[in-house]
Amino acid sequence: MVHGIVPPYLLARIAELDDERFATAAQAARRALRYDEPRRAARLNFSLDASNNLVVELTDGPNRTIADAHNDETLPGAVVREEGDDPTGDVAADEAYDGLGATFALFSEVYGRNSIDGAGLPLDATVHYGVEYDNAFWDGQRMVFGDGDGEIFGRFTASLTVIGHELTHGVTQYTAALEYQGQSGALNESVSDVFGSLVEQYALGQSTTEASWLIGAGLFTAEVEGAALRSMRAPGTAYDDDVLGKDPQPDHLSGYVDTDDDNGGVHINSGIPNRAFFLAADALGGNAWERAGQIWYDALALELAPDTTFAQFALATVRAAGTRYGESSAEADAVRAGWSTVGVETGDDDGLRV
Amino acid sequence: MTDSGSDSYTISVVRSGGFAGLRREWRVTSTDAPDVDWAALIDACPWNDVAKPRDSRAADRFVWRVEASDGSRKRTAKLDDGQLAGPWKALVDQVRSRKT
Repeated sequence: MVHGIVPPYLLARIAELDDERFATAAQAARRALRYDEPRRAARLNFSLDASNNLVVELTDGPNRTIADAHNDETLPGAVVREEGDDPTGDVAADEAYDGLGATFALFSEVYGRNSIDGAGLPLDATVHYGVEYDNAFWDGQRMVFGDGDGEIFGRFTASLTVIGHELTHGVTQYTAALEYQGQSGALNESVSDVFGSLVEQYALGQSTTEASWLIGAGLFTAEVEGAALRSMRAPGTAYDDDVLGKDPQPDHLSGYVDTDDDNGGVHINSGIPNRAFFLAADALGGNAWERAGQIWYDALALELAPDTTFAQFALATVRAAGTRYGESSAEADAVRAGWSTVGVETGDDDGLRV
Repeated sequence: MTDSGSDSYTISVVRSGGFAGLRREWRVTSTDAPDVDWAALIDACPWNDVAKPRDSRAADRFVWRVEASDGSRKRTAKLDDGQLAGPWKALVDQVRSRKT
């Protein structure tokens, strides 16, 4: 089977083919162009059936554009690679391109979601942002990656979990729209860690036992005593360094950190729901993106309030598990147990509008 | 009214958040760096009129807390990464480069 990504200009060319041998492909391309947004890309799968007939399947495809800020802080920067282009040779630009593709693949192939908004939104990223910039962020429209300072952090595209994390902020923006403050902000962060990790696991074909469950592995330089920025399996253990101190993430609600920093500690308290997801996935075994990931994805689609609390989100995941697998299913039990272990009860809550 | 001419300032900058969620702090006193016109840098900042964040949909951006005190009064501002521009950036950059 030939499996290729078809950018819009090529889709248009296929649509114009006047050749009996490619009638099916041309028809599929014309259908895509008629229904789609102007910049949408698609993927055509060519195969032969048992009778040796050409079978053409049209599926969703990413539409990626990578820009280079050339160490300035002005966005978007100069475009260096668009969908279907050959690699640039710039490591950060090519890692961003590949990472966006891997993230698109998880959401599209596993959850049937066509890009961030579910409707083929182009995926835009900027690399080489700022000078020695120690961060990667989602600005509401694009993913932005710094090069790191070279002393504590290297480039932020080095970990696929980071790219998956940033793009998932976009997915959350178009679904649950969790306010980036306090518990809802920590949930927003956790959802990005969950799917950031699942992007990596799906790309590598890792089971729950094979996965590292680390977020940001490989970002620290060799000077830092730490494996990663966060551990979903064991929050609070990702690093312990003379300069940076110890990973401050709690692994239980009793350790919830009240602080004015970091929008109410959204990157600290995310350890609690992160571990709840890990525990549910670990109890179910197999591939985490299949059942545990599906439940968390389903929960995002429920009508969550912007200021959703841990308890309300936990209840949403239990309801999502019950809807898809049954209220007495192993999946629902695993989700309940995961939350209970981290101190979040799922008994009742009237804040969930479902 | 300007505070230029006051004896001594202490300025602290706390950066939190970002993808890593790491907290960093820089602190400097005007006596540590007497060559800098700290009063002018501080007075140039709109302490009572901090602009709203540019995009509430953003995530993983740094959060900055800037504090300046001269013994008689303390001024504090909280900024998101997108707001760190103009006089705020000038002050924060100077503190970070003169950190003690």
